[in-house]
Amino acid sequence: MSSETQKILTTDGIPLEVSLKKVERRNKFKAFLLVSPLLFFLLIVYISPIVGMLFNSVDDRMVTNMLPKTFSSMETWDGKELPSEEVFKSFYQDFKILVDKDEHGKLATQLNYEKNGFKSILKKYGRKLNNFEEGNYKEQTVDIHERWGNVDYWRAIQRRAPAYSYSKYLKGVDMYQNEDGKIVQVEEDRRIYKKLWVRTLKIAFYVTLLCFLMAYPIAHLLATLPMKYSNLLMICVLLPFWTSLLVRTASWMILLQQQGVVNDFLVWIGFVADDNRLVMMYNATGTYIAMTQILLPFMVLPLYSVMKTISPSLVRAGKSLGGTPFITFWKVYFPLTIPGIGAGSLLVFILAIGYYITPELVGGASGTLISNQIAYHMKYTLDWSFASAMGLMLLSGVLAVYWIYNKLVGIDNIKLG
Amino acid sequence: MRKLSKLLLTLVFALSVSSTSYAVVVASWGGAYTESQKLGYGDPAAKKLGIPIDWVDYSGGLSEVKAQKAAGKITWDIMDVFAMDTINGCDEGLFVKFDFDKDFPPAPDGTKASKDFFTSMPSKCAVGNILYSWTYAYHDGKIGSKKPKTIKDFFDTKTWPGKRGVYKSAMHNLEMALAASGTKPGKGGKKIYKQLSKEKGLKKAMAKMEALCKDPNGGCVFWSAGAKPPELLMQGEVVMATGWNGRFFNAEVGEGAPLKQVWDAQGLDYQYMVVVKGGPNEADAMKAIAEMTSTEGLAGSAKYIAYAPWRKSSLKVIEAGEPWYKDGKTAMMGQMPTHPNNTKSYILIDAVFWADNGTEIGEKWEAMKSGL
Repeated sequence: MSSETQKILTTDGIPLEVSLKKVERRNKFKAFLLVSPLLFFLLIVYISPIVGMLFNSVDDRMVTNMLPKTFSSMETWDGKELPSEEVFKSFYQDFKILVDKDEHGKLATQLNYEKNGFKSILKKYGRKLNNFEEGNYKEQTVDIHERWGNVDYWRAIQRRAPAYSYSKYLKGVDMYQNEDGKIVQVEEDRRIYKKLWVRTLKIAFYVTLLCFLMAYPIAHLLATLPMKYSNLLMICVLLPFWTSLLVRTASWMILLQQQGVVNDFLVWIGFVADDNRLVMMYNATGTYIAMTQILLPFMVLPLYSVMKTISPSLVRAGKSLGGTPFITFWKVYFPLTIPGIGAGSLLVFILAIGYYITPELVGGASGTLISNQIAYHMKYTLDWSFASAMGLMLLSGVLAVYWIYNKLVGIDNIKLG
Repeated sequence: MRKLSKLLLTLVFALSVSSTSYAVVVASWGGAYTESQKLGYGDPAAKKLGIPIDWVDYSGGLSEVKAQKAAGKITWDIMDVFAMDTINGCDEGLFVKFDFDKDFPPAPDGTKASKDFFTSMPSKCAVGNILYSWTYAYHDGKIGSKKPKTIKDFFDTKTWPGKRGVYKSAMHNLEMALAASGTKPGKGGKKIYKQLSKEKGLKKAMAKMEALCKDPNGGCVFWSAGAKPPELLMQGEVVMATGWNGRFFNAEVGEGAPLKQVWDAQGLDYQYMVVVKGGPNEADAMKAIAEMTSTEGLAGSAKYIAYAPWRKSSLKVIEAGEPWYKDGKTAMMGQMPTHPNNTKSYILIDAVFWADNGTEIGEKWEAMKSGL
């Protein structure tokens, strides 16, 4: 009975501990209710599309469900020679159902991604379907088109059997799984993505560097000039920032083209000959110039907000202790601006790595980035699962950059203002 | 004053909401082309049927309409599409299948619609709209005294140094490259496609384009919007550019630009209209598309742009009404890609070939481009 007396009870006879916990729970619930709109918002507009994209990039159930009999009869096939009569028969049965449901076009599109030439032979197959006679499906199928007698096409069908596959990710780095199950590079004249990943990283890196080199003096001026001038300068930084991205890119096109303002000026001062005007657009140069200008404010603003908080007396103290201007800058001022550099660089790099519209307009062939390829597959080849896979690879690249930055500098050191 | 403006604003809003709720929305390619469609048959059809027809721009492909369908809200009723897309879209069940003689009016002399068409349709979902052509053009004032005449001249960077404007995808570029490297097109370009379906021919065509784009005296500027090639030529950014004949015609005759077209080995292609299955106004869209692609309708669009109508009976209307162009003095028949003067050597763009091989060739093309 002693334990009972030790418990403190509230006036209505419930132990105080329980009562307190109840209140705490209620408060927690209230707090959760307060943030729940934000949570749902994040879930709906941020998390769910990413999860959907991930799912989309590996999901291949559509083909699996379209040819159930074919795939089950293919299980024993070794892939060396043409499959058995049974496979041909089950393919005929599967395809007949698809034609009745008017869904065979989707299958043709999917198989055509796997191997070219499927579209027309499936179409022909669909047309001849009603003339098929019972028995000897193999012969009748091969009679429709010689490609049906090519074992490569049947291997391509077999590759689509698993319900989930990571083949799109392999394709994103110019690889594929060959007949023996080994992961190998694609033929040389089809390698493109590795090159583009490297180019994207390279351009993003140099744009970040250029932005840093240009933004640092601007931000320093902004932070140290008297209010009267710095406000004007600030407007000069912000005005382009507020202007539409498209307008700015289009203006660069007017400036940079061969008959454009910059070239006209250079010819006028005699720097270049009229018939030898500089090519500054539809190549990587155009991408560098336009992207640097467009992303510059994202570097200036974090730098400025950090520099603004650095007391001028620190630099004066450094000088009075005998430091040369360079030493005081390097030992006192510069280390204090690192959080701003980190924030600005991360911001610019991450924005640059996924840039789309500017490279599309001024980049030409040598200045386009990986996001242009993603758009190409979204819009023209309609291979959305491949586009999703590349989108996710890009996203994981950004996360990797973030992680490396966190390891090297520490994310707590970032200061956006 | 303030009350009035508020009232006006509400009215405009109400009007725009109500008008979009029952207008038939047509997605087309924009610029001079959409203008010709709107003035030529869109507005007359809308007036006749009492159904408003709205035009929106898009840049081809099925991605938007597929996305609309996936999102459960289709906003387009009619689309103006490439042959390849009608095949793909029809196979995937995106478009309405037609019964040509029932859904489309006969020619004035009573010929059934299906017999009045230029040739048979590539799929049951497509109704022919225009025949257009991939040609190349140059700036007459800037090219010098020697003028390009053949498809080979497009690749001749010695005589005519400078950049070339070419379409950003492989389509038509490879056909043109093969024709320029000496392959005779044959009837309608059959020989070209025979070559292109072989590894060797494809490599040859690709190498020809690569050589042109890598040539220090040449180089390529890739375009995607149809309005771009005339613009690039006028700016002097390129010396020659491939493009769509109607756009060049519009710049040349409509706006008086000094551009000249070369018809040698032109790539003749068809353009179609489709009705989107499950669009907001499917029933009205069927009426509108029938009216727009009627004999009178198609002839009407040729008043504004040099694209040939799909119906043979429309050509008779134009011939009888010459000079047919909107300025009242330009004869249209000679400007058509189907005119005998222009079809001495031509390639009929093969939609089935591209539907089949587009993905792989596209990959190789992009890989080639990324190495420039």
